[in-house]
Amino acid sequence: MYTRVNQRHLTSAQRSRFVEAVVQLKRMGAYDKYVTLHARYFAADGESGLRMAHMAPTFFPWHRQFLLTFERELQTVDPGVTIPYWDWTADRTADSPLWDADFMGGNGRDSDGQVMTGPFAYQGGNWPITYGVTDEKYLTRSLGRPDRPIALPTAAELGSALAMGTYDTAPWNSAPATKGFRNKFEGWTVSPEKGGYLHNRVHQWIGGHMTGGTSPNDPVFWLHHAFVDLIWVRWQRRHPHAGYLPAKPLGAKDPQHGRVMSLTEAMPPFGVKPSALLDHRRFYTYEES
Amino acid sequence: MSGRQAAGRRGGEREEPGMVTRRRMLTTGLSTAAAVSGTAVALRPMLTAGSPADGKAAGRAAGKDGVPGDHDAPLFDEIYRGRRIQGFRTASESGVALFVDGRPLHVMRRVDGSWISMANHFQPFLTPLATARGAVDVIGHAPLTDGTERVAHDDH
Repeated sequence: MYTRVNQRHLTSAQRSRFVEAVVQLKRMGAYDKYVTLHARYFAADGESGLRMAHMAPTFFPWHRQFLLTFERELQTVDPGVTIPYWDWTADRTADSPLWDADFMGGNGRDSDGQVMTGPFAYQGGNWPITYGVTDEKYLTRSLGRPDRPIALPTAAELGSALAMGTYDTAPWNSAPATKGFRNKFEGWTVSPEKGGYLHNRVHQWIGGHMTGGTSPNDPVFWLHHAFVDLIWVRWQRRHPHAGYLPAKPLGAKDPQHGRVMSLTEAMPPFGVKPSALLDHRRFYTYEES
Repeated sequence: MSGRQAAGRRGGEREEPGMVTRRRMLTTGLSTAAAVSGTAVALRPMLTAGSPADGKAAGRAAGKDGVPGDHDAPLFDEIYRGRRIQGFRTASESGVALFVDGRPLHVMRRVDGSWISMANHFQPFLTPLATARGAVDVIGHAPLTDGTERVAHDDH
């Protein structure tokens, strides 16, 4: 049992230890599998096949297990490290200490989006990109999406998703008519001008690698998704009688049969059922502030 | 003015209407175990030399530019923010093949008919042209990985 804390409350030593452990995994050749794994389980709902990480009810439990797996490997390097969370409703700007040179490093430069400061800047030699969408070997960001500016989600926007009393609903996809907390929070159904909603808009606001198909290349991915995970906890607390849906495997005649996973089906590649992940306190707690 | 920060001009929209994806109909009911239609196979280390997949790629019908041959229906071909973007209608699951400077841009189809690309993965666009432009908006001047995206996409 361990505790995840808000990144703004980390001590200087804790910031360094987290960064050091992440860099050490990269150095060991153990990091890049998380980049490819996330891409592999990103399937879209307009095509055939099982949807796991996105556009599906397993969005929350799959990412919970993804973070747990990463966190456990981090702890093989430094047992005292946990994944901090970034509350983007509170730390909303590019001058937040989150982006300081001793932690995530700063924005990408204008010319090519290359991150020039901090432990993940290419010149430091610790963070070459192995699997990318482009040939660029350096980490990229474009905070705020300056060519069509967008803002990080607000507490009010998050509140409107948390108020939804149903976890998810058929056909369990990203369509606007699929009304439920999971789909609202994932944030697919918004115009290109306004950007996505909540989860998706945070990826877009950071830009560069975070808005592409290899988003875990940017270590801030873990801090974003730790907050996503905490938001699931908050939703559960607020709706104690509303559970994960679908509760039972979909029947063979259901058009979504084999496309999404219910509470009791084991999620690949982990072989863990959503039902085994509903209570995060089996693994860790959040220090909320 | 840099490629990434320059204002995205959106003059001369000549978008194609939504297209029917034939194979999408044919593949419903595909066995699911084999059909996790992700993109890991589309990713390979950039520093690694050729893999067996390259041989497969070479076996595919491709024009001189590395884009599909003329059996595929062209949708658009234009210069956008200094990049040549091309789109073709295909029988793949997404229904289209998109290219930036001749290199394949992996795309996926959403249930509402929109597309997302590997470059701009969290923003759906309503047309193939807007999807290609949206990718360039994110990658700026950087070349797409010369990977096996199209092969991976067709093979799953």
